Formats: sequence, C-alpha cells, structure tokens
Amino acid sequence: MTHPDPHLLVLHALRYVGFAGSGRIAAATGLRESDVESELIDLAVAGLVTHLPGDFGGWGLTDTGRVADAERITDELESAGARAAVTKAFDDFLVLNPELLDLCTAWQLRSLDGVTTVNDHSDPAYDARVLDRFAEFHERAVVVCAELSSALPRFGRYRTRLGEALDRANSGALEYVADGTESYHAVWAQLHEDLLATLGIPR
Amino acid sequence: MRWIRPLSARTDEPVELVGGKAHGLTVLHRLGLPVPAGFVVTTEACRAFRRDGRLPDGLGHELATAVADLEAATGREFGGAQDPLTVSVRSGAAVSMPGMMCTILNLDAARRLERAVAAVFSSWDTPRARTYRELHDIPHDLGTAAIVQAMVFGNRDDHSGTGVAFSRDPNTGANVPFGDVLFGHQGDAVVSGGTPTRPLRELADREPGVWTGLLDALSRAEGHYRDACYVEFTFQSGELWLLQVRPGRFVGAAAVRVATDLVDERVLGRNEALLRVSPHHLRHVRTPRIAMTEEVDILARGLGACPGVAAGRVATTVDSAVRMAAEGPVVLVRPETSPQDMSGLAAATGIVTARGGPASHAAVVARAMGKPAVVGIGDLDVDTTSVRADGRTIGEGTMVTIDGTSGDVALGRPRVVTSAADAHLHRLLEWADEVSGNHTERDEARRLSAAQAVLRRDQR
Repeated sequence: MTHPDPHLLVLHALRYVGFAGSGRIAAATGLRESDVESELIDLAVAGLVTHLPGDFGGWGLTDTGRVADAERITDELESAGARAAVTKAFDDFLVLNPELLDLCTAWQLRSLDGVTTVNDHSDPAYDARVLDRFAEFHERAVVVCAELSSALPRFGRYRTRLGEALDRANSGALEYVADGTESYHAVWAQLHEDLLATLGIPR
Repeated sequence: MRWIRPLSARTDEPVELVGGKAHGLTVLHRLGLPVPAGFVVTTEACRAFRRDGRLPDGLGHELATAVADLEAATGREFGGAQDPLTVSVRSGAAVSMPGMMCTILNLDAARRLERAVAAVFSSWDTPRARTYRELHDIPHDLGTAAIVQAMVFGNRDDHSGTGVAFSRDPNTGANVPFGDVLFGHQGDAVVSGGTPTRPLRELADREPGVWTGLLDALSRAEGHYRDACYVEFTFQSGELWLLQVRPGRFVGAAAVRVATDLVDERVLGRNEALLRVSPHHLRHVRTPRIAMTEEVDILARGLGACPGVAAGRVATTVDSAVRMAAEGPVVLVRPETSPQDMSGLAAATGIVTARGGPASHAAVVARAMGKPAVVGIGDLDVDTTSVRADGRTIGEGTMVTIDGTSGDVALGRPRVVTSAADAHLHRLLEWADEVSGNHTERDEARRLSAAQAVLRRDQR
C-alpha cells in the first residue's frame, strides 16, 4: 500500500482540477489549506506550478510541472502494481459515465410537450425524482470508487467528495448537483480526468 | 406467427406491439417507398424474454421461417458464400429512447440472429436505459421490438452513402429540405457524429437520381403526417432506401412557421394549426437568435447546447481566454472540454466545442453557467492559436457570434433578433386572439393557451 505523498497530491490535483485557488486544491485532496499553500510555494520554487493573476486565474501547472506529474503519477501506479486494477475500474467508469451525463442533463433540462426546457427547479416532485436517480446511481459509482481506492488509496477522496455533494444537494443546496466547483458533476469530471492522466490516456 | 410480423404495406399492428420504428417502416411501405425487406420481433416477445430470462419457445423456429422468406425476397442466402444476405438488428420501442439501446449491423450467420435479438431485448434493461425511463416517465414493462432487415450498404461504392433529412428546416421552419449526408459511409457514422457530414443539398449535384427520390419521399411522408417530417436513408450504388420516418417534432419558432405555412398550403385549418403549437414552444420566443440573412457568414454549424447568442473574440486555450477576457468578451473554442478548462469556461461569454453532444461536459457546464454553447461541430480543427472549419482558418482574436439554439457559429457580429418579432408568430397569435375573443396585452404563451382552452372545450 502506498501512502499518498502530499507533494504529489497537490501537484496532481492541479492536473485534474485545472487552474484553482488553494481552497479548491484543499477540497480536492483533503489536505489542510495551509498545508496546500506551503506545498504550492515549494512546487513554485521548483518551477512546477505558477500563479496566474486575474479574476479567473489561480494556481496551475507549468509545462515542466505537467511532465513531472505524468512521470510521478506513472511511477506511483507501477510501483503499486495497480495498472490492471485501475484499467478495469476505468472500464467500469466508462459504462457509468454516459448515464451520469444523462442525469445532469435531466437535472438542467426537461421535456415538456416534447419541448426541451430549462429546469427552473420550480417543480419539487421532478427534482426529487432526478435526485432519487442520482442516489441509485451513486450506489453503483461507489463500487467503482472502492475498486480504485483499493488499488490506489488517493482515489478514496472521490467517494467522500461525491457523497458530500449528493448529501448537500439532498439537503437543499441544489448547486451541488451540477453547478458548483464541488458539485457531483464537477467531481465526477475530475475523476474522469484523473483516470485519463493516471493511465496516460490522451483525450 | 406468434412473435414475428412482416414489414409490409399490409401490416397493421399497433405501435405498442411493433414499436415506433417498425410502425414508421410500414407507413413507408404503404406510401410505396423503397424499404429494405425485413420483419419485426414484437415487444410481446421482449416482455416474455424479460419475464423468463430467455427467448420464448417457438421464436427460434419463427426466426428461421422469417429468414427463409427474407432469402426468397432478396434472392440471397444468409451466410452464403457469394454476395450473402446480411441483416441489421435494431431496437425500436413504442416511445423514443434515442441512443439508449443496441443496434447490430452486418450480421451474417443464422445462429447469431437469436443472440442478436436477445442482445437487443437485454439492452432494454441496461441501468442507463432504466434511468432514462425513470426520468422520462416511461413504464419499464413496455419492452422493445427488434427489427431485422436486409442490410443496404452506404459504403458499397462511389455512388453510395447515408444521411438524415427533414422535409423543412428544423431551425426556421422554412419549406426547404434540410439535413446531412455522408458519402461512402454507413448510417451509424452519421448518428455518432464521429465523421464530418456534408449539407444535404450536395446530394442534388452528386446523386441527382437519389435526390429526386428523396424529395418525393419527403413529400409523400408530409402528406401522410400532415406535418414536417424526418427520414433516415441510405443509398447503395445510386439506389435510394428509406430506413426510418417520423414527424419532425419541430419546436419554437420553427413549429410556429410550419403551422402557419401549412394553413397557407391548405393542409391545416387555423384551429388545427393553433393546436399544433405547444404554449411551451412560446416560452422561449424571447431567446435571442442570430438573424439569418444573406450577409451572415456562417463559419461552422454544430448542435445548440445552451440557448442564447454570444459574441466575442476567439480564444483556443484556457490561458488565452483568461488573459483576453480582461479586454472584452471571449468565445472559448476547444476540441472538447474537461475540468482543466473550468477557468476558461468561467472567463468566456460563449463556448464552442468540436466534439461532444448535448450531454457532454461542455454542454452541462455551459448550462450551469447560463452561457450560450455550440457543441459537436464535426469538421472543426482547433490548434493552439487558430481554428479551422470548412476550409477556412481564423486566428485567435477573430470576432465570432454563436447561436446556442441553432448551433451556428458566424464570423463578425451579425444582427440578433428574438422570434417575438417574427411575422409568423404575429399571425398565429392574431388567430389565437380571434378564437379566445381576448385582445388585451398578455405574453405569447398565455394568448395561445387561451385559444387552445376554447378550442378544446368546443371539441368536447
């Protein structure tokens, strides 16, 4: 069993999250924000990450950082002997992926008299039906997450984040379905990106 | 036969038993249009399969008989050594479940036919299909039919291909055929969106015989449905075959235009036209659209994924989108999007992707952010500083305008309108006010609803 190395966790989070502030990196990795900040400074000194100013800026990988992440994440995969298990889990993920996107679409759009209409969330019964489907989907997603975390412990974070997003959505914070940066859709998309990066599969 | 029905002009079975697709094929037969020979295994067989976990007794024998009929009709032998009969096995339920169930093409051994039918029936119960039905209020016990037809090959030679066609333009409702054609390919390539298609009009020059046949088919199908319609077709060595037909299911301004035009064409009466348009269609008439005039220079066309119009300078990377957004609106153009693109998506005023459909990552995020988006532009190439489409290359920084309803990407800043200003809508609503007797100021949907309430009351 490999223990997640905070240095690699932060570097790799920027690979699947994209440009982000330290708060989002902390949410993605489960590290404390102050620890993330000190890792980011070390990584910046090493030339692996950079900070982009502006309203939409944040921390991101440099070209060198992207190469370094690819090498280290491959090392982690191979030294844990986890390639076969992660590949199998990725295949299972790909079966679930179109269904999750269907669910997000149903959350955002609904068909009324054959007309696709923006779901304005004024019909609690419809929303409850979609959230029910999310809950049922989540039970199957958890199985894939478990396959992944038993192969590589750092993947365990996704199960927690997906579960939290669903809990929050169910308690009325509807933006945790498909809108926010910690929404079910956003976390799921990061898992997709992480799997591609981990297995070295180009998009 | 208990479990199988032939596909022919004489087949007159309810859509619940044979499914929507097979029902459409029998309509095509009755209209005298060319349909590949075939038969349908009913939804009743699917229900038996679901109940017992295996194909019903007697189906194997019926399949053998039906295949022998198919061999006689086509003069070819299933699994034969030379020019053998090959079949497709397609799903088709009573209600549309696009892309949810399986299709098997190029099947060439009789023994595999039963397995293929079982595979189609099983695909009714994949978790994804079940979720779709739960979301769309479709009962799980309907089941799907399985349609077995002799294959026709859109990839046979230079005079072969495949396509989809609407009898009228589904974006505007204008009475001109609209669609996509793919020369030298089979049908699945059009639907998957993986191969760039050509505008339907190119068929007129390259295969004039097929084009004439297609126009005739569209006209007869319109006559049957008394509405705009949609067909899927393949042409093999210059010979046209129809594979599916259904009403066009137009929405928004296009639905209004078709309803009023059909009154002018004396196909519908005014009252019937008023009932054809859903008030839901009119809730969106104030969504801005690019005004389609001769001067509009369309760079590319994809699928509208989030309605609205956005104008801005093209950025092809997240970095440049974030940088350029400081100076003015940006349209982010990407091959597809991933979480790494989130800051670019946030910075952009509109989003364009080459790949992906209405449920892709880009589409979901665009709708969450309320930003106009166009996805699935097959022939769009995006590199680090430029975008290439339809033989033209434009650099980063070029001004473009995108329409997230029609899927158009136009160069420059064309005029933007809302269909509330549309002449066809004015006419329809005047008819509505005459029927309801209410001429006060109200929104469009309420004016139509009032007229429909009167008409429905009178129908009772």
